[in-house]
Amino acid sequence: MKIIGLIVAILVGALLVYAAADFPAWSDPASPASTYLSPHFIEKTMEETSVPNIVTAVLADYRGFDTMFETTVIFSAGMAVFLLLRTFRREEPEARHYRHVLTGVTLRVKEGGELPPSDDFERIDSLWTPHDLIIKTVCRLLIPFIQLFALYVIAHGHHSPGGGFQGGVILGASIILLAISQDLRTAVKRMAEKLDALLCSVGVLIYAGTGALCLLLGLNFLDYSALASVLHVDSIMARSHGILIVEIGVGIAVMCTMIWIYNNVSSGGKYNQGL
Amino acid sequence: MDIVVILFLFAGLLFFTGGAVGILRFPDFYSRLHPAGKLDTLGLLLSLISLALFNLHHFSLGALLTSLKILLIVVFVFLASPTATHAIVDAGVRAGLAPWTKGDERR
Repeated sequence: MKIIGLIVAILVGALLVYAAADFPAWSDPASPASTYLSPHFIEKTMEETSVPNIVTAVLADYRGFDTMFETTVIFSAGMAVFLLLRTFRREEPEARHYRHVLTGVTLRVKEGGELPPSDDFERIDSLWTPHDLIIKTVCRLLIPFIQLFALYVIAHGHHSPGGGFQGGVILGASIILLAISQDLRTAVKRMAEKLDALLCSVGVLIYAGTGALCLLLGLNFLDYSALASVLHVDSIMARSHGILIVEIGVGIAVMCTMIWIYNNVSSGGKYNQGL
Repeated sequence: MDIVVILFLFAGLLFFTGGAVGILRFPDFYSRLHPAGKLDTLGLLLSLISLALFNLHHFSLGALLTSLKILLIVVFVFLASPTATHAIVDAGVRAGLAPWTKGDERR
């Protein structure tokens, strides 16, 4: 069986290598890809959308439909992880353990008992779970800067590499860093599960809603120049602003999906202390 | 100016080389993390300072801003890199890896 697999793999590889010979030469100006579409993007992007970064304009405007479904794919990935992993049946352990944060003393509370929520105690799942002051403190220092940078990446996507996907991933990573350096309960306290799932769909809704709004205003789906009358700018700037709006939607969706997937995977769907 | 830039760059590269040699030569996990954590941080600090100085060759407000951004990278790496090394060592200790002592075999 293995040998048959090997033969098939080699055959397909040979076929690919054989087909690669038919590719146009590298950066051939007469190749189909660079004869009519690329020159149009390179020459007209600035006039048509007033976005200096051609990649952003192509991604969110000329091929907006494609990007919308990319966002939907990410959303459905988060959905799939949630549906597969999340467990709602509560299996309470016989006793709960709490740690006094300052001294590290562990308390064991018998079955059914519970400490009132306070900042002095944190709930832990086993008798000895790691906590490290250095890592906690440094991460707490760094997280705001990471988030600020993420917002910069989203907002500056018109002029420099970046945009909704990248910025959203960085935003999600900052919350995941919080979950790693403290524990999952702290992160969930900041970003509750329901809020997370809600924002995840809101991000996709912003994107699709912008497209639908264009449709309602009388132009094609995702043709942002229709937004000119709503935003009180001319149709070229409206395309630029439309790109920013959908990038924000993408950012929100990507951020929340990252957090959602991490939370479910790291705690096995139980939303306990996590890793 | 150029001489200062070159000096900083070479000092940085020297520390990077030391770090690479250390990672290859040291006998076990913990001692290998020592050059990885310390020398890389210092090497990056020195070489980025030299880049920030080189960027000021044609002085303007924009160039100054770029240099300040480069120095910001230094600040964040200076915070993050030792912390990451600390976390890795911490994980090693918790996983029960015994440190190397003199006379043991290289690991």
